[in-house]
Amino acid sequence: MDLRDVVIVEGIRTPFAKSGTQLAGVHPAELGRHALRELIAKTQLNVDLIDEVIIGNTGNPVDAVNIGRVVALRAGVPLKTSAYTVHRNCASALESISHGFDKIRAGVMDVVIAGGTETMSQMPIMLPKRFQDLFGKLFAAKGPSQALPLLWQLFKYDIKMIQALLSGNQKDEYFPIISVMKGLTDPFVGINMGATAELLAKEWGITRKEQDLFALSSHQKASAAIKSGVMGQEIAPFPLGPKYDQVIINDIGPRDNQTLEALEKLKPFFDKKTGTITAGNACPITDGAAMMLLMSRQKANELGYKPLAKIRSYGFAGLEPERMGLGPAYSSPIALKRASLELKDIGLIELNEAFAAQVISSIKAMDSEQFAKDKLGLSKKVGEINPDIVNVNGGAIALGHPVGATGTRIVLTLVKEMQRRQTQFGLATLCIGGGQGGAMVVELEK
Amino acid sequence: MTHQNSIRIVSYNEIAMIELDQQDSKVNKWSTGMMLRLNQVIDELEKSSYKAAIFISKKPKIFIAGADIDEIRSLKSVQEFDVAVKQGQTIFSRLEKLNMPVIAAMNGAVAGGGCEFALACDYRIATDDSSTRIGLPETKLGIIPGFGGCVRLPRALGLAGALDIILAGKLLNSNKAFKVGLVDQVVHPNILEKTALDFARTLIGKPKRIKRFQPKGLVNQILESPLGRGVIFSQAQKSVLKATHGHYPAPLKAIEVIKKTYGFSSIESALEIERKAFCEVAVTEVSKNLIHVFDLTEMVKKQTGVENSSISGMPIHHLGILGAGTMGGGVAYVAADKGIEVRMKDISFDAVAKGIKHARSLWEKLAKKRVINEFELQQRLAHVTGGVDFSDFKRTDLVVEAIVEDMEIKKRVFAELASFVRPDAIVVSNTSSLRVNEMQTAYPYPENFAGMHFFNPVDKMPLVEVIRGDKTSDQTIATVFELAKKMGKMPVVVKDGPGFLVNRLLLPYMAEAAFLLQEGQSIDFVDKAYVKHFGMPMGPFALMDEVGLDVCIKVLKIFKKAFGDRIEIAPFMQELETSGKLGKKNKNGFYQYDEKGYRKEVDQTIYSQFKIQIKNSLSEKECIERGIFAMVNECARAMVTDKIVNTSDEVDLAMIMGTGFPPFRGGLLKYADHYGVDQIQNALKGYSIKAPRLEPSPELGEIVKKGGFYKS
Repeated sequence: MDLRDVVIVEGIRTPFAKSGTQLAGVHPAELGRHALRELIAKTQLNVDLIDEVIIGNTGNPVDAVNIGRVVALRAGVPLKTSAYTVHRNCASALESISHGFDKIRAGVMDVVIAGGTETMSQMPIMLPKRFQDLFGKLFAAKGPSQALPLLWQLFKYDIKMIQALLSGNQKDEYFPIISVMKGLTDPFVGINMGATAELLAKEWGITRKEQDLFALSSHQKASAAIKSGVMGQEIAPFPLGPKYDQVIINDIGPRDNQTLEALEKLKPFFDKKTGTITAGNACPITDGAAMMLLMSRQKANELGYKPLAKIRSYGFAGLEPERMGLGPAYSSPIALKRASLELKDIGLIELNEAFAAQVISSIKAMDSEQFAKDKLGLSKKVGEINPDIVNVNGGAIALGHPVGATGTRIVLTLVKEMQRRQTQFGLATLCIGGGQGGAMVVELEK
Repeated sequence: MTHQNSIRIVSYNEIAMIELDQQDSKVNKWSTGMMLRLNQVIDELEKSSYKAAIFISKKPKIFIAGADIDEIRSLKSVQEFDVAVKQGQTIFSRLEKLNMPVIAAMNGAVAGGGCEFALACDYRIATDDSSTRIGLPETKLGIIPGFGGCVRLPRALGLAGALDIILAGKLLNSNKAFKVGLVDQVVHPNILEKTALDFARTLIGKPKRIKRFQPKGLVNQILESPLGRGVIFSQAQKSVLKATHGHYPAPLKAIEVIKKTYGFSSIESALEIERKAFCEVAVTEVSKNLIHVFDLTEMVKKQTGVENSSISGMPIHHLGILGAGTMGGGVAYVAADKGIEVRMKDISFDAVAKGIKHARSLWEKLAKKRVINEFELQQRLAHVTGGVDFSDFKRTDLVVEAIVEDMEIKKRVFAELASFVRPDAIVVSNTSSLRVNEMQTAYPYPENFAGMHFFNPVDKMPLVEVIRGDKTSDQTIATVFELAKKMGKMPVVVKDGPGFLVNRLLLPYMAEAAFLLQEGQSIDFVDKAYVKHFGMPMGPFALMDEVGLDVCIKVLKIFKKAFGDRIEIAPFMQELETSGKLGKKNKNGFYQYDEKGYRKEVDQTIYSQFKIQIKNSLSEKECIERGIFAMVNECARAMVTDKIVNTSDEVDLAMIMGTGFPPFRGGLLKYADHYGVDQIQNALKGYSIKAPRLEPSPELGEIVKKGGFYKS
């Protein structure tokens, strides 16, 4: 047993809620605070021992730019303890864990909080560039003689904005910038995340039916996990302020009455004519936070904790931005190799469901000799994946994908299930907007 | 002692920086010695070549706290007061006439005589530190500003502004003080000295400032016109009478002085009127009593709750609360408001959310009044969390139990709790009627167990009864005592016994009120007698409604069990139990309540419901005496035989802070002594002919023998 092993002592998350529902009004710092505070409560941790707090977030709220620090202080972490925010898009909260892993492994730290938080509902709607320029001039204007012509200009812009809104043409230069949509568009190749999934569906020959069936199963598994109380084991119910007239106990997203027929009726969202990706077989925009307590084995032993799992390795990889959905097929072999394991050793997998098409193509790619040779430079395929061990409690299509928090959520869901099943090795992996993949290999602590 | 070093001049070339640093005290205050030293300093300045002077304090968080209360207490006659006040007035007038500009550079408390000193300076600069509070609280001690405050403040702020400050006796923060014109400039504490020096340099060679309030705007000009002044005075008079029912002479006296002197061109003759009025109120019983109450609160500040001086309370950083109801939520608020981390536990998340909501709504009220800002609200709120299990309780230093008042359930919870908290954690029950000694047996570390009885509403009621069980350790008592103080409360340590102290005394009082009703006195007649004539904040029936009629009856029964036949329950109270009337909480009690829960008219149907014929045949005097003397009688028993508390001071503090017993009476036992305990004994003897429950107790006899509660 290596005393510098990095162990996951415990983890907890808020309920995840589809954007625009119950958590839409809750600031991401508040979601993060709740998750972290409940993690401290659950582990009864002496907060003076925390060396650092590392929080994933992509929305970067303007009133809490280093949201990691805000979360830490509000949750009662001492002033002396450093805290920061990391951003690796969809893997931000896997990035935070990997930071903690490296720092503990290197011996510079013993106790790290890693996690992520996101209120996608609150990502701002911004004014186009020409409005900003005009406001710049307006704020500098001296006296009404300078201001009045500018205000008249603003009035004319407003009319054009109303026209753009009525036309619904988001590419119109007067159309307000919806940052959540902007964020979901690749800035290198300029195509939307949904369109990257369409591309994979076509390249890997994945039918609409396959995708809809996959989505249906995600809802069924998630609903079953909620009903059986399995999901509740990783959730800290959220008292919803400022009225506190309700407490959010479960994820708001999974539908236990979901039917295949209903999914089949949905129109393709990104490619209206020939597309197969719908709002039903893609993950919804979501609000939520997740936190995890990492320690060196030495410290965990000293404090008498019984950890859930040990982190064996992590790996990140880059690929073509327009094929970002295949990220898991690139990053998983890296993490496995670092853990000196093979895919067949893995007993349980969390593969984040950004899109059903993207999950299925990633699994197919890993099972392909050709792909291994052409893209990974490997002599043989990564390996075949038994679908029965993937996302056994449902995935993001049902639970949702609060971008900055998902990384920690999938590792948390994975290690909790490994404890229940006593699975020795587990893999958590996800695709990352911008053309990357991330993966983490964990081993059960018995 | 000589105060040579208490006020010292430090030279900055042409500017004299005068440091206030009273050598024999933690604070600066105007004692005779300090006054004489100030007089010397003025002599020195007059003879010097300095061109400007700055007064600054070297004490943390105190500029000048006011006059020396110990000295005020030692003065008895009008002549003695006159000499002392005249000395202060004369010296401040010398300061005002000094041939150079004088600046008061103020950080911390600028109260009473301290504020009057600042008013005699030409300019006032204050820091924006939260400790900086400026004002004239004299009327709270039953006196009026006597060192020129009644004269100079109206001249500086105008009539309306000055009356606000003097009559309410409140202290203003520096921003408010700036707004009303009481200070000229507000700065950060770090640059106070430098700002004052820079400012002083700009004043050198300029003519002396002429202070005279200049009304700005039409409304102020009208208010300052002779007609406007008349309106202001009569309004002020009316609102004081409404608030005090005429029990407090000082604010009325202050109005009288200002009315007479406002507009006088001669300061000297104005000061003479002020001084004469000051001496009149200073010798009153009311002033003595209010100073006694002030002493009681100071006493608590110095106490630790235990006699052993080597033991002091452990700091509480993290507080657990069992039960997130009204009391639990209230305790969460007062703790988290002072930076204590709070963890609540209840049986459902909905209940926990209600507790958080309760605390939040109280902070929202503060935010609305701009006492705290949005960030402070978020920070405080973040201190309050909760759950349905004991997670986090290993981190708690002290746990307050505030669950249902049921001994068996409580005992079960304490036994269970023991395995979820550290062995060194302290556990307290917020019970109001159950016995700490019995609860203690259920907890494996009884030495760490005590009672901590908060009063409802927790955020408003200052009293906390710290209940010592037979096995409670001194360390536990000291820690709970310290925690109560940190929460801004007034703790009183009491021994375990039925109803502890306050409820034990209140119960005979409420029971007696019920008999008054049974005998045909109307509810308003009785309540009005207590409020208007005696000065209680509310009458006994309104109080019973507040407490809850079910609770009153339940506790009465507990008392009957504990004390036997001497506890009698009025027959209609027995019926009341099943009538569905619970008091304020179900908006159905002796009074009617509106939707928001505000008390309205008496529920007139009650008389016919319980077949009571209203005659109002008894005098108000008898109504009051039967209730108050019943309390005195019970208090003698509680003190002499049961030793619930050791001193009369503690009883008086508890009754004022816990029940609103009129402060101008100095407390229940000050009142009893002043009335004459032998007179009370006689009166009770008379009443007991009809009502054996009012038979004077042998314990009261002992008190009579030694001549009063305060006699040793």
